This record gives sequence, C-alpha cells and structure tokens, in this order.
Amino acid sequence: MVKYIIKRLLLLLPVIIGVSILVFLVMHLFTTDPASTILGQHATQNQIIALREQLGLNKPIYVQYWDFLSGIFHGDLGNSLMSKAPVWDEIMARFPATIELALAAIIFSSIFGVIMGVISAVKQNSISDYICMVISLLGVSMPIFWLGLIFILVFAVQLQWLPVSGRIDIGLEPIKITGLYLIDSLVTGNMPAFFSALKHLIMPAVALGSASTAIIARMTRSTMLEVVRQDYIRTARAKGLLERPVIFGHALKNALIPIITVIGLQLGSLLGGAVLTETVFSWPGVGKYVVDAILVTDYPVVQGTVMMMAVIFVLVNLIVDIIYAFIDPRIKYS
Amino acid sequence: MKRKYLAIMLTGVLVLSATLTGCGGTATKTATPKTLVFSQGADPRGLDPAYVDDGESAKVMCNVYEGLIKYKDSSTEIEPSLATDWKISEDGKEYTFNLRKNVKFQDGTPFNADAVVFNVERQIPPKATEDMPYASFTYGPVAKIEKLSDLSVKFTLKNKYTPFLANLAMTLAAPVLSPTAVAKYKGKLMENPVGTGPYTFVSWDKNQSLKLKKNDTYWGVKPKADNIVFKFTKENSVRASDLMTGGTDIIDGVDPNDIPKLKSSNMKVYQSDGMNINYMGFNCSRAPFNDVKLREAISHAINRDELVKYLYQGYSSVANSPLPSFIPGYDKTVEPYNYDVTKAKQLLKDAGKSNLKVKIITYSNPRPYNTVGGQKLAESVQNYLAKIGVTATIDSYNWTDYKAKLANGEGDIFFYGWTGDNGDADNFLSLLDSHEIKSTLNASKYTSPAVDALLVKGRELPNGAARNKVYQELQQIASKEAAWLPISHSQVLAAYSPKVTGFSVHPTGSVFFSGVDK
Repeated sequence: MVKYIIKRLLLLLPVIIGVSILVFLVMHLFTTDPASTILGQHATQNQIIALREQLGLNKPIYVQYWDFLSGIFHGDLGNSLMSKAPVWDEIMARFPATIELALAAIIFSSIFGVIMGVISAVKQNSISDYICMVISLLGVSMPIFWLGLIFILVFAVQLQWLPVSGRIDIGLEPIKITGLYLIDSLVTGNMPAFFSALKHLIMPAVALGSASTAIIARMTRSTMLEVVRQDYIRTARAKGLLERPVIFGHALKNALIPIITVIGLQLGSLLGGAVLTETVFSWPGVGKYVVDAILVTDYPVVQGTVMMMAVIFVLVNLIVDIIYAFIDPRIKYS
Repeated sequence: MKRKYLAIMLTGVLVLSATLTGCGGTATKTATPKTLVFSQGADPRGLDPAYVDDGESAKVMCNVYEGLIKYKDSSTEIEPSLATDWKISEDGKEYTFNLRKNVKFQDGTPFNADAVVFNVERQIPPKATEDMPYASFTYGPVAKIEKLSDLSVKFTLKNKYTPFLANLAMTLAAPVLSPTAVAKYKGKLMENPVGTGPYTFVSWDKNQSLKLKKNDTYWGVKPKADNIVFKFTKENSVRASDLMTGGTDIIDGVDPNDIPKLKSSNMKVYQSDGMNINYMGFNCSRAPFNDVKLREAISHAINRDELVKYLYQGYSSVANSPLPSFIPGYDKTVEPYNYDVTKAKQLLKDAGKSNLKVKIITYSNPRPYNTVGGQKLAESVQNYLAKIGVTATIDSYNWTDYKAKLANGEGDIFFYGWTGDNGDADNFLSLLDSHEIKSTLNASKYTSPAVDALLVKGRELPNGAARNKVYQELQQIASKEAAWLPISHSQVLAAYSPKVTGFSVHPTGSVFFSGVDK
C-alpha cells in the first residue's frame, strides 16, 4: 500500500510539468501581457516597452518558463504583477474560504444526494422516485449564478432570514487558527461568530452543491438498483433481516465505490474554486481570485493558481483511491 | 463517588459558560463607536499611491494619506493641506512650499521636508521604476526637488507648467507616505499604508473587507465616524440588496436598473456629473477622415441626444466638448453638431462619397465613461450611419488588444474616453496635442499647429480668466475640426441608507469620509 502511494505521488511530477507547460503557453501565447493594464490610461508605448523589460517579459519564452518552473520547485510561485503580493500568500489567504465552501457544499450534496438516490432506488418508479429525480434534474439544470441571485432575493431581501453575502458579519471574524471560520469559532468558543459564519454559509453551499446533489443522487440510484438485484441481497432478506440493515448495511456499502468516486471528483472540482458562487455571494475564495487574474492577464497568479489546483485535484483523487481500499477489502494495491 | 459529582458539576459549569459566552452585551454603554460600511465592487489593487491607478484603491487611500495640496469640497479648486502656503517664482519654474508644523504620520514619524523630498525622489529618475503609472504625469515636469529647511521645500520645474499644482492634489502619486513605513514594509508596502490623513489603516481581509479607524492624532478637523469598513461585493445587484437589508450603509457603482428598487426601499440615491468624456474619434491620419468635411458629415448623422437617452437611461449627460462642464475653461457656447440627416447626406454628396464604407473598431468591455460597453455604442452608431447610406463594419477587441489596435491606427472610426486626473483643462485637451500621437494618447492622430500653440500657451499662463480664454478658443477650434465627436459624460451613481448624512463623491471620484456621519 505504501509503495502504491509513493508511486502515485511520484506521478505528480509529470502532472506538474505537463500542466505548467500548458498553462504557461496558453497565457503567454494567447493573451497580451498586463504591462499596459498596469500603467493605466496614461500608458505610452515607450513606458509599456520599458515596463516589459523591467518585468522580464521580454526574455525569450523558454527562459521565462525555466524561471517559472524552477520557482515552483523552490516553492516560489512569483509575485502578482498587479498587486505585487506573493502568489503563494495570496492563494493561502483565500484557500480556507474555498475549502470551507467546498466542504459544506459536498457534505450537503453527499447527504441529500445519497438519501435521494437510495429512496429512488428502493421505491423505484414510485412518486418518491419521480420527485427525487425531478429535484435532481432541476439542481443540475439551474445555472448556479441565477440560483444564487434568486436565493438572495428570496431568503435575504424578502424574508430576511439569511444575510446577503460575505463569509461573516463584519467585526465578528474569529481568531485565525485554521482559517475555517466554523472550526475556529467552535474551538475558541466564539458562538456569535459560529452562528454568523453558519448563516452566511448556507445559501452559497446549497447553491454550489445543487448540481453535485443531482449527480450524486443519480449515481447512487443507478448503482443501488444494480446492487439491490444481486443474489446476496435476496439471501439477506430471506435470512429475515429487516429492510433497513439490508439496504444500508449491505446494499449501500457495496454500492459505495462508484458513489465515492463521484463524490471525490465533485470535491476535486469544487476545490478548484466555485467562481460563479464566489462572485455572487462575495465569497473570498481562490476561484474568483484566479478568474479576476485571468481577466487582467496577471501571469504569475494564473500560472501559480492553476498549478495548485492541478496538484490538489491529483491528491484528492489519490485519497479517494486509498479510501476504496478501506471500503472494499477485495481491492488491493501493489 | 464525590469525584463523579464534581466532574458532572464542572461539565455543567463549562457547558453553561460556553453557551453564555454567546449572550450578554456590555454592562455599561458609553458611546458606541460609530462604524460606516461602504461597499464597492472590488478590492484596491494596492495601497501605495506610487504604484496603483485604480479608483478602488483611490477611495481607500484618499482617507489615509494627504498631499501638500488638496481639492476643495465638491470642486477641483485647490487649497492648502500639508503645505500651508506656496510661492511661484516669476519665471514660473520654481515652486516653494511652506510645510505645516506639528504634523505626525500615523506611526509617529514627524512630517517634514525630508519626508516630502523622500516621497518625490522615489518617483523621479533615478529612483523611479517603470511600474509607476502616474509618476511621469505628476512629476515628469520636475527637474529637481530640494529641502530648503525643515519645513520648506522647493520644486524646480524643467519648464513653466501651470497644471503642476493641480497634480499635487491628486490621490495618486502625490500623497506623502511615512518614510519609516516605506523602509519597514519594503515588499509589502502596498498593504500597509501609513499617511497623515484622518483615518488610520487597521486591516485588510482580501476580497472581504478593509478596515480604517479614526486617527486620534490628526492635525485637522476630526472625522465624524470612528471606523470605516470597506466591503467588497462584485455584483451590482447584490450590493444593492445588501444596502436594502441593512448589511451596508453606502454603495457605489449603482446600476440604473436598481434605482427604482432602491428608492422604493427608502434608500437615497446620489448623482453627480463625472469627470470624464466618452467620445467617438476619427482617424485623421488617412482617408477618408483626413477630410474635415467628411468628419462633419458623420457628426451631423448621429443623434446624440437620442443615443445618450437610449443607452444610458438619463444617467449620462450629452457632451458638447471634451471638457466636463465644471472644469475651469469650459466653453458653453460651443455649437454642437445638431442631428441633421439631410445635411449629412448633402455633405457626403458634395465630397463625392455618397456610398462611403467605413471600418469601426471598438472595445468589448464597459468603461467608467461608458457603462454599456463599446460594442453597444458602436452598433448604435452603425445604425445611424446606415440611415445616411454609410456602410460600417465593427471589429471589437478586449481592452488591452484594443489599445494596441488604436496605436496602429487600424479603424477609420473608433471609440474611446478619458477619466480626468486633476481637474485641469489641460488634462483633457492635451489629448488633441500632436505630440501625444507617438505616445498613443492622441488616438485620433489629429494634428493642428493652432491647437498645439494654444496648449503650450495654456500650460504657461497662471490660473485665471486669460488661461480660461485660451481653452475656450481651443474648444471652438476643436469643435470645428471635428476630430472627435464628444458623446457623453457619465454620471457618478451611489446610494446610501437614510441614516447616513454628509455623503458625497468628489468630482475626481474620491470618496472622502471625514464629513460623513450616521
């Protein structure tokens, strides 16, 4: 098992190199550099040329790539061309927010998705089945941006049950330990902060998780349908087990592998930054950061953030694969 | 046994205290600190005036920093700030400033001539770096700066340049930073502003909020609110929702579509003329628009009143001159090109170009002076041109690429604009200077020795009626030559809760919070 993990971690290397080449080339070949954006409306051609020289944007492309790649292996992702702040620091400042939102969304969608999927599978072709499938169809069809704005209009403006946007009420930020407000406020016993953070998290998490809920529900339903028809389920029922242990103890456990795959993939992509949700709810995450950087062609930020997202995606998939081995004793890695 | 009871009691006390920490307020209420919350669309780029040029940064910086001079309330006239008075030499090249006594930066460093010299020298050669957007505009005319005594400095300019004073009142480049802070925060200066202004920087949670607090050692009139919180909310409609639910006190960047909603929720709407110009330009360097008659023809073909009403729903005013009306030197007698399709067609016929084909280039994104974006504006103009028999094609580019296309002189007709920097007429009208063709600021590539001469004269005359007359003459010539068709000046739109008093947006776009209360 350990050898397997090490082998998978070594495979990260070609991934990093491959992604770095891709993102570097896309930025440098298909976009204009930010020199004229940095200099604003007074920019003259001479100033733009001089700035490019200062920023090293005139060097041959392979030299710039080499600087970038060697920087990565030293843990230096460079500095933002617009704000001059180190890219690593900027990502780390925003990463906890993305983690918190992604985790909340995936927990919401896993719980509801699996429940809906199980109900649909167990009561196939009944009203409950159709209702669950319609809900999941709606979830995957409604654009997140629109859904978010509707949530704000209904729950924040009309009903005034929840706050409009942001992570927490201004002034209530808890002491930073992990950066995840819910955890930090619980650990320090700061209940006003906890409840404020929770209220701010509800709408974005549900909006973001809506599509994932649908996907997880459908996957659960189809896998469960397959498993429930297996002989060992019939045996379990024949043995006299009540329906609940049959479904949850036997059927669901066996159906879990594909479901966990889907949950893992969803989590990986949510961690990549839920740009639209972050924009609507002013959630200070990595997704919005990188998209804003793309719009002003801030090379180091885009390159650094995309690299990080790729690495995270690979790591999440690795963790999912390891979880398989624990769930299904038949799976052995060598 | 006893231990068990003790354990249960202790757990009970712990649980009780944990739940009770949530409740309860302060035992005695003295004055509760007043906090104003202001929502804007994005974070500042950074908080060092030497390195940034965006409005989001300026709105924060103008409350933390000050310069030698400042603008008067609601106008672009200047008055003393960190300098108490100044003298300009006979030849107009030497500016001597006497500095205010007993002023300290927010970190305790004394404000004096050394601080001023330090700040200016880091923005002029040899110390200036290439990534300072406003250094050459603000300090380019400066040959040298000297400390005359602890509380006086002298600038020596390369040539007479009247707008220099107005430059020193800007929030960009001109403010004086604490030299101690600059040295201390070297790489992180953009996030640790230290100035002499009414508010002190507290903290900045990127993409969330930025906090300022009252500067208790401020030399001037103490600000009313104790704390200012800048909240960053990208979506216009979400900002409006936040205002209506009491999550914020003031918002800027209001969408005209949200105004009815805001008004019906009892929010106040603030409107004022912006210091900008939105214009259509002709490429005067080659056919067809090197011919002034053709430029006139097209100018008569566009119904600017209808265009502005349709595109901007009343939140922009029709422009008859490159200058906004409140800039000294504005000429209200300039005759605009009235909408006259017959005349336009006649002029085209006379020039033998009844079936003219033109290439329009435009930018795809919205701009501060054009909130609907370049594409919509170009399409509207294309429609007007079709009515007089002119066929136009539109090529639209993203902003950075667009500026390169302008530099290459690619379109026959283009769209552009300018946001004023210092409230001086020269700032806008220099865009017609033939010397600015190379720098690409004169995107029309328009040349006129008469205009150039008037610009030189205007830069050398001291502020007053004679100087204003020069610019009035210039506007008359510019209008006749029609290198530009001025379209509109966009308004500044903001909204605030009825609890807020004293709020306004300065013509330069800065929001000064000193006088704002709730």
